[in-house]
Amino acid sequence: MAGAYASLASEATGTVPAAVESDHVPHFQDSNLQIFPPAYDTRENMTSLFRPPNDADETFSQPGHGGQGGQGIPGPNQAWQGYFNVLSYRPYFNVDTVDVTDRIKDSLKVDVGFVEKTSQNPDMYGPFWICSTLVFVTASLGNLAAYLSYKSKTTGGHWHYDINLMSSAALVFYGYVGLVPLALYFLLRYLGVTSGVFQLWCLYGYSLFVFIPASFLSVVPWEIVRWLVVGAASFMSAIFVGGNIRTQIRTANDRWLAIVIGTVATHLALGLVLKFYFFTYFQHDAL
Amino acid sequence: MSGMNNIDHNTSSQSDIDEIESLFHISVQPAALEVPRSVPPARKPSSPPRIPVSAPLLPPSFVSSSNQAFSTPVQSGPTPSTGAGFGGGPQYNTLTEPVRETLKRDLLRVATNLKDVVLPNPYREDPGKALRDWDLWGPFFFIIFLALTLSYSATENKSKVFAVVFATLSAGAIVLTLNVQLLGGSIIFFQSLSVLGYCLFPLDVSALVCQVNNTKLFRSLVVLVALAWSSWAAYPFVSTAVPSSRKALAVYPVLLLYITVGFLVLAND
Repeated sequence: MAGAYASLASEATGTVPAAVESDHVPHFQDSNLQIFPPAYDTRENMTSLFRPPNDADETFSQPGHGGQGGQGIPGPNQAWQGYFNVLSYRPYFNVDTVDVTDRIKDSLKVDVGFVEKTSQNPDMYGPFWICSTLVFVTASLGNLAAYLSYKSKTTGGHWHYDINLMSSAALVFYGYVGLVPLALYFLLRYLGVTSGVFQLWCLYGYSLFVFIPASFLSVVPWEIVRWLVVGAASFMSAIFVGGNIRTQIRTANDRWLAIVIGTVATHLALGLVLKFYFFTYFQHDAL
Repeated sequence: MSGMNNIDHNTSSQSDIDEIESLFHISVQPAALEVPRSVPPARKPSSPPRIPVSAPLLPPSFVSSSNQAFSTPVQSGPTPSTGAGFGGGPQYNTLTEPVRETLKRDLLRVATNLKDVVLPNPYREDPGKALRDWDLWGPFFFIIFLALTLSYSATENKSKVFAVVFATLSAGAIVLTLNVQLLGGSIIFFQSLSVLGYCLFPLDVSALVCQVNNTKLFRSLVVLVALAWSSWAAYPFVSTAVPSSRKALAVYPVLLLYITVGFLVLAND
């Protein structure tokens, strides 16, 4: 897989346009996985994919397809079944351990070429499990930090494990990574920029990784340390996202700066929410 | 001869049903070898009303070779039927057995599976042999038990604790199975749910033990041991199912799930 990255990088540099050219560089379009479910679009590349068996009636009833028997566009009554078949999502998990760790390292290094590297093979494994880990980590460390700050005060209220942290963490993180890239994708389409929703999901998912070490460091009971840590993580993450978006759409639209600032702002807002909801403690009054 | 044919016609449908009922009698009570061969059409069924069993349950040869089947006593013991059921085990004709027998058999199966999954077992590495006779009762009991224990010992939001634990465990098991399948592994969905559920047993024990003593140190130790045990039990099943370059990707979420639950056990006050 590392070889694929090298070839992608060289291919990408060759496609950066001159300033006079008005066509934007369709980086997002490079992936074969744009059409979903991919099984129906890229049979040649993905031979291990499952195709649901074609109905004989279908090939008979549509004379145009007679000889093809399943190649080409499937009948309309078959395309929806791909959404319910686990195997048609497999191309989005086509990563090895070393790929995932490389991508995580890229996100920590704030690599603004991330989307270019992953445009051929965006994976959903990273975003989903990074979000899940983050949900667990913030919920449990938030509780742990509350416990420590309760213990460190000599007088105090009563501490109980707050289960609501876990459900609200799930809502915040899954909601953010699920919906914000989707909204961005639709916004970009509205503005005429081609982009890929899976690449955006991949980008946002990996950008959240830096909050995991930040959560570990936020357990210390000093507010200033917590602010510094969460602030630094939010900035790194926001620049990662914003830089990548900027690289992709800078030449595509005049309003690129506004979009980039918007994404950075929403990301910083996420950091604020993280800080205020999970890592700030009000003393629970004695019940 | 024509008379005989007429009689055969009139009694054919009734005698089929009676043949099937008689086969039940034979398989369940091997002592009753005496089987009526021809049946008067207006006979009332002598047994208490049962769920009418449709013919496809038995292999069609039984119905088609009606008279020949009766000439030799059908072998006693479980009649292999094509009914769906749990993976692997012998398919008993279980409609007519007492409830006690069913419960005993299910409990025995749960105990056997538990032993296979949680204790050292020479077949651990082979997913084909690891849990042939999987079932979902065991996992169900363990999940409910853990959720109940944690909910009982929580001081606030008891029902929410139960809901969160139950949802995390059950959705987590499903998501873990899907994860392995999506990474290119090939496992049977319900078998995987079964293994992941049985591996919760050490955490159940730890939740119970933590009720006894409330000091943080003791709890931490117990939960740590239980976590290690659960992970050790679940690891071979998951890691052998995926290609080796993705082993860590498949195993990490399992550890994450058990650590989450372990933390919930630990932090409950």
